[in-house]
Amino acid sequence: MKPTALALSVVLLAGGCGAQAGDGRVELEFFQFKPEAIETFDRIIEEFERGHPHIDVTQNHMPTAENAIRTRLVKNDIPDVIALNGNGVFGELASAGVFHDFSGAPAARGVSPPIQRILDDLGVHREGEVNGLPFASNTSGVIYNKDLFRQHGVEPPRTWTELRAAAETFRSAGVDPFYLTPADAWTTLPAFNALAANLPPPDFFDRREAGRVTFAQAYPPVVSKLGELFRYGQRDRLSRGYDDGNQAFAQGKAAMYLQGSFALPAIKQFEPDFELGTFALPATDDPEATRLVSGVDVALTMGREPEHPEESMAFISYLMRPEVMEAYAEEQLAVPPTEGGTSTDPALAGVMPYFERGLLTGYADHRIPLTIQLEQHLQQYVIDGDQDAFLRTLDAEWDKVAARRS
Amino acid sequence: MTRTARAFYWMVIPALVLFAVFHTLPVLQGFYYSLTDSPGYGAHAFVGLRNYLNLLRDDRVLDAYVFTFQFAIVATVLTNAIALAIALGLNARIRLRTTLRGVFFIPNVLAILIVGYIFNYLFANALPAVAQALGITALSSNILVNPDLAWLGIVVVAVWQAVAFNVIIYLAGLQTIPGDVREAATVDGAGAWRQFRSIVFPLIAPFFTINMVLSLKNFLQVFDHIVALTNGGPGTATTSVSLLIYQGGLEGGEYAYQTANAVVYFLVIVAVSVFQLRVLQRREMSA
Repeated sequence: MKPTALALSVVLLAGGCGAQAGDGRVELEFFQFKPEAIETFDRIIEEFERGHPHIDVTQNHMPTAENAIRTRLVKNDIPDVIALNGNGVFGELASAGVFHDFSGAPAARGVSPPIQRILDDLGVHREGEVNGLPFASNTSGVIYNKDLFRQHGVEPPRTWTELRAAAETFRSAGVDPFYLTPADAWTTLPAFNALAANLPPPDFFDRREAGRVTFAQAYPPVVSKLGELFRYGQRDRLSRGYDDGNQAFAQGKAAMYLQGSFALPAIKQFEPDFELGTFALPATDDPEATRLVSGVDVALTMGREPEHPEESMAFISYLMRPEVMEAYAEEQLAVPPTEGGTSTDPALAGVMPYFERGLLTGYADHRIPLTIQLEQHLQQYVIDGDQDAFLRTLDAEWDKVAARRS
Repeated sequence: MTRTARAFYWMVIPALVLFAVFHTLPVLQGFYYSLTDSPGYGAHAFVGLRNYLNLLRDDRVLDAYVFTFQFAIVATVLTNAIALAIALGLNARIRLRTTLRGVFFIPNVLAILIVGYIFNYLFANALPAVAQALGITALSSNILVNPDLAWLGIVVVAVWQAVAFNVIIYLAGLQTIPGDVREAATVDGAGAWRQFRSIVFPLIAPFFTINMVLSLKNFLQVFDHIVALTNGGPGTATTSVSLLIYQGGLEGGEYAYQTANAVVYFLVIVAVSVFQLRVLQRREMSA
């Protein structure tokens, strides 16, 4: 009996380990997080394999990819090439030192420096390292229904007052100004980020980290304007989520949708019979002061000590070719992070001037530690509208986390 | 040692090895991590009991404990009351008894997540429509997005699902009551309620104990229901301890800190279960 029991445990233990190709070919696992880009990546991989017959790339997509990658990291089972959203999770993983240092790698050269900086600002292992490469950029602001705007004679607003006037026009015409989906708590973030990027002083987070300012002091305008936007939502907003929102907006049920450009392909899946447009959310009455929120939608990286360094780098270098990035960006309605890269898609035309003039800023929520669960508190706020309680919680949570990590 | 005794050892060892490798070892590993500042990967340093001290200062942890205990106590009481009532009915001589026993067991074989998503849809669309038609304003909007009512939605789903298994245990208990005892009681002129209170309930007391302990333990670990229904929201109103450990530890990058929380919670559940067993067993004996 004993050998059987041992054999059983050995089999169970060995089950998790990967297999190796036997015929001199190298198998690479490409772990990526975007369900809507599976087919695009399949095509890119096919072309890459044609030029590199000894490399076999397998695309691996998982729902809740960020948790999946974390559990893989815990087991020290790191995929060969990784594509992740350039958000707070990416920053925390990079800071922990699990990703490769790409500084000086030829693949990093084509990237526009301000966009690389947005990614590096999320967190790097050591000063001066580059732990990921931006493959595609996104923008976050307002998506709008061009037909409804035309019908009601509304121009894309350039100031906060104009935005409010537009919302009033739609409301009095019986059209819901915004389609809101706070049942999925994270969908409160795009609006929050646009306001947080433009209203408090730009060095707010550095000063918050130093304990010289609080959310209660600097964030009341952000929070009250957010509350105002949410009062212009449709009636059943509290029970609607992201998928409901994409579908409803595609059916023309509201004039504006507070979402990032990553929602555009999802809306297009529902085949809207009108034209989509985008504009930067104007947070103040000075149109020249508005900064567009932009982040790294897809960041490429690999393990710190990869199993197949040459092959993995070959695949990353291929992905980072300007023509590959541009082709991807066109299909996925993203902006290529190359120097001077722009999108020709009419849906993104409204925000391209910000890219051309470099009037970009990162996502504010990426500066707030994930464990604070900002989006849960934002959800609470848009339900109960208690501005003081929201700011108090944010400050208290921030201080607790700071005390735990010091 | 005789040959039979040896055979028994060999029957136990495989299970013991599997339990040690896949349960005891990870628990000890977890305890070790709770004394570090590890985010779950990469480098980490030993920090002693700092995580445990910080737990005491974290009001979010306290809120999660309060919510979880409230939820678990309400759900345990409801589940056992309803399950006992159904079991009594299914044990009586009624038509379609076997079919009904099957029907009442169905919730137990359905995955909680799937049930949860179906109920989520019902709460979001069907229930408000019905309530609006009947003019009940309190229920005419989705209760899951109401911070004061969302927990009731979770109780409904949890109880609906958990009753099935408890009914089976109670039925098994009711089968153990010899028919002549009840006959004798009937001859002595005891009514239905009197029979239940003085004969049936005392005789199934061990089953009641098991059900109470298991229900409370399971409800204290509530997780799937919440993920499917509210994901801890609105705000953080329905964040249970398990969910907090998962969200803070795996999603929030505070693996070591939430592992400390898990260790504390493990001890709390053990303590509650032992206490419950003691009290209920003493009652069994005096009954």
